[in-house]
Amino acid sequence: MAKVLIVDDEEHIRILLCQELEDEGYEVALADDGIDIIDRIEKEKPDVVILDIKMAETNGLDVLQEIRNTYYNLPVILCSAYGSYKVDLKSIAADAYVVKSSDLTELKNRIAQALEATVPVKE
Amino acid sequence: MERHEENPKGVTKADVVVGIPSYNEAATIAYPTQQAALGLKQYFSNMTSAIINCDNNSPDGTQDAFMNADTHGIPKIYISTPKGVRGKGNNFRNLFKKVLDLKAKAIVVVDADLKSITPRWIKNLGEPLFSDFHYVAPLYVRHKYDGTITNNIAYPLSRCLYGRRVRQPIGGDFGFSGTMAEVYMKNNPWNENVSEFGIDIWMTTLAMNEGIPMCQAFMGRPKIHKPKDPGADLGPMFREVVNTIFDLMAAYSDKWMSIKWSKPTAIFGFGLGEIEMPPPVEVNKEGLYKRFQDGFKSNSEIYSTIFSMETSQKLGEIATLDMEHLEIPSPLWAKVLFDFAVSYHRKDMDIHKIIEVLIPLYYGMTLSFVNKTEGMSIQQAEEFIEDLCSVFEQTKPYLVDRWKT
Repeated sequence: MAKVLIVDDEEHIRILLCQELEDEGYEVALADDGIDIIDRIEKEKPDVVILDIKMAETNGLDVLQEIRNTYYNLPVILCSAYGSYKVDLKSIAADAYVVKSSDLTELKNRIAQALEATVPVKE
Repeated sequence: MERHEENPKGVTKADVVVGIPSYNEAATIAYPTQQAALGLKQYFSNMTSAIINCDNNSPDGTQDAFMNADTHGIPKIYISTPKGVRGKGNNFRNLFKKVLDLKAKAIVVVDADLKSITPRWIKNLGEPLFSDFHYVAPLYVRHKYDGTITNNIAYPLSRCLYGRRVRQPIGGDFGFSGTMAEVYMKNNPWNENVSEFGIDIWMTTLAMNEGIPMCQAFMGRPKIHKPKDPGADLGPMFREVVNTIFDLMAAYSDKWMSIKWSKPTAIFGFGLGEIEMPPPVEVNKEGLYKRFQDGFKSNSEIYSTIFSMETSQKLGEIATLDMEHLEIPSPLWAKVLFDFAVSYHRKDMDIHKIIEVLIPLYYGMTLSFVNKTEGMSIQQAEEFIEDLCSVFEQTKPYLVDRWKT
């Protein structure tokens, strides 16, 4: 069973995503900000990270950079209420960018794709 | 191949080398040479270094312009192919040999017509090579109509085939390690297209497939070089790049057929601050439309042997549209390229003919891209290209099926 770490500062979003993804068969871990993200990843060992961008304490794009400095191959999906961050060059370090919606079909598809992506190239 | 070399300072070793390939770049080569020297002095002063101009015996005085450029004491070496031997790839072949002689650890290559290069480009393309990476591709903002072969063919195809997102696979400016130079020298799939403009996609594709750790480096400034109207004559570049892509598909088919989706490639040099925007590139839409229309009419019988009935019909409908409304849907473009790749692989006809008849459709796709992105900012057009790539990835099973049957 794949494990998803959801990093989002809005509780209702965390709850919604958690319920939906658990229903899909994923194991889910939650974090309410991106502070100490590396420690969190080391502890939870997720297979994929869902990362909000505009959070109260941290900027998801900076958190993404921090993750990439250590975990290059870990799939990270940016999930933001704002489509505008998609044009920030920093966002290309993510596996995918999904605009938040009550319909989670795209997010679920992107999670499946990220887990399925097979690139036999060492880093 | 014999080569002519001038090495006035008798350099026998260099840790870091900047290579500048050229042909008839007398008017422009001094500037990137000077910037490269500043970069080497500023960021690699504790290492030995050299700047090498790999030239095709240019008759316009490129050698003098290079040798007379002020490089603040950084030694220069001029290497040329014999008279009459052209090709960017041949220049690289000479560069590979020379950097192995010099036991270089890091090699940075920049275009000879660059107007926007800064010393920082040398740092960003060279530094990752001392941090376990062996290949560094550039990441810069280009005008949405600059690099249409990259945007519509090289990037979507390389990304969906090999699962690596390298945004500028034929950027022309990149870094590679001495280890990688050995890989390039030993590798066999070298042909006349690779010895010309196919060299960039060849190097990137080998890096993607030979288990080489690679990254992309933010350049900070946009790529500004000799402007080129994408509606103008393509010259040999299109043929050489596309031939090389299709040749490498056969060489690496075992690898790409098992790859699904794609992964981002590591990024070096984040946080360069405000990103500068590139100057506009003019497009001759009438020229694109005419070349598409003329080519489509004269090659329609050949197309019917390459495409399925459905694809042929859709293209036929598109060919009836007027210039302002001509659009080729992304899934159709993906199938067009995949069908051409399969036809090339099967050698359904002379491979030069296959590439020749693809050109009018490429003009049509370029016009379609211009029509779709006309009102978009550079960033929005970038998002459009990302969506195009996603379509290529989704459509890839069609290619795999056709390739196998």
